[in-house]
Amino acid sequence: MKARTDRFGRTELPERQQRALQRAIRIEWATIGFLAVAITAVGLVMGGSQAMKAAWIEDLLSLAPPFAFLLAVRLVNKTPTRKYPYGFHRSVGVAHLVAGVALFAMGGFLIYDSVSGLLMAEHPPIGTVVIFGQQLWLGWLMMGVMALTIPLPIWFGKVKMQLAEELHDKVLYADADMNKADWMTAAGSIVGVAGIGLGLWWADSAAALFISVSILWDGVKNMKAAITDLMDTRATTFDDGKPHPDAAEIDDYLRGLPWVAEAGSRVRDQGHVFHVESFVVPRHGMHPTMQQLLDARDGCIDLDWKIQDIVLVPIDELPEEVGGAGADHQSERNR
Amino acid sequence: MALASAAVAAVALTGCGMQFPNDPEGTLERVRGDVLRVGATEHRPYVELDGVDEPTGSEPALVEEFAERLDADIAWTMGSEAELLDALEQGELDLVIGGFLHDTPWAEHGATTRPYVEAQTADGSTEQHVMIVPMGENAFLVELETFLHEETGA
Repeated sequence: MKARTDRFGRTELPERQQRALQRAIRIEWATIGFLAVAITAVGLVMGGSQAMKAAWIEDLLSLAPPFAFLLAVRLVNKTPTRKYPYGFHRSVGVAHLVAGVALFAMGGFLIYDSVSGLLMAEHPPIGTVVIFGQQLWLGWLMMGVMALTIPLPIWFGKVKMQLAEELHDKVLYADADMNKADWMTAAGSIVGVAGIGLGLWWADSAAALFISVSILWDGVKNMKAAITDLMDTRATTFDDGKPHPDAAEIDDYLRGLPWVAEAGSRVRDQGHVFHVESFVVPRHGMHPTMQQLLDARDGCIDLDWKIQDIVLVPIDELPEEVGGAGADHQSERNR
Repeated sequence: MALASAAVAAVALTGCGMQFPNDPEGTLERVRGDVLRVGATEHRPYVELDGVDEPTGSEPALVEEFAERLDADIAWTMGSEAELLDALEQGELDLVIGGFLHDTPWAEHGATTRPYVEAQTADGSTEQHVMIVPMGENAFLVELETFLHEETGA
């Protein structure tokens, strides 16, 4: 197993990232195990509570990112082929989009469900259960089970967030975000059931509405991130917070070479690794030798493990979109 | 933490005489010491209406005992399932009996109790019997289920 997963396509992972990847795989399996138990337990006690139903569906949906991640790490370690010349990295983006759309659709459905519950003034009934011959209000059991599902997702989320940064993995990041939504959902449904207990029939639907909005919002965020990556937006950091520093580092490195006057790069995120096209303008009258070009390429690759697929394009003037001056100067064609 | 605060709130509220769970419409409070409004529809041998003022059978017997426990008189209403469930939804009844099963389609219009008795039918399958109370009146529901649990051990 180890030998199969310590590379992303042609990219061999440094030791630190290899360890992070193994850890991420273990924690995703642990997440699936936890969710299997949580989904069973919540399903058994959810009864007539709308908030519990929303929380249960959110738990079900939380299974998608871990499975997407585990599937993607298997696919991306295939090397590029003639049919897939850019490799299989984009499977991460596809998985990310599917997970985002699922969240969005389910959030919308649950909002409709809880709003209609509020409008129709549905009063959720919660009766009793008998456990070991002892009769108990089911609401206590619901709150207890939901409380038990809070601590682990908090921990999962924290660890995954670190690993997502280490591996530059956006599915892992989305999953960490989802774990946060999970435990907040659990807390929300406890409030909803406690509200029913106090005789506030609307508390349950209101809590469900709050949970549904958070699910919908998760969906919007993830759909947006996945779509922009599939649109080949410039590479960003793992949390889509800012442009990835690698692009500037490549340009700085190339500009530092004695034969280079100017350099500008297009960097797109293939999922984990970057695909880079660097345009370089040689100094006046200087023609780079083959060896100089090869050295420049290797120098870029040495900057970061994520840079592997890089194309150097010697050119007379920088295209506009990588910092050139000419307004009508596109990379596709010169003049 | 939310659980802890809910528990604290529950203890505090029950401490000053409030129910937990409570009824949004206060059914249990109103019935106690006053009148329990029960709808009955025929389903032998659970509910029998033989032209008398009060229904007989195993379920009316249970309801009478439950009313006694709440120190309440019973106001009986006889009618079809549809009439009684409609009245229950309108808040005109507190309880409907008629040999209902736990998977009754009327569960959309009222809250079914936990099955209080299992009966063998002629073809050997088991039927789980329930009563129906207004939606979301959870204190009343718990009170009735507790009574049935103690009476029948279900």
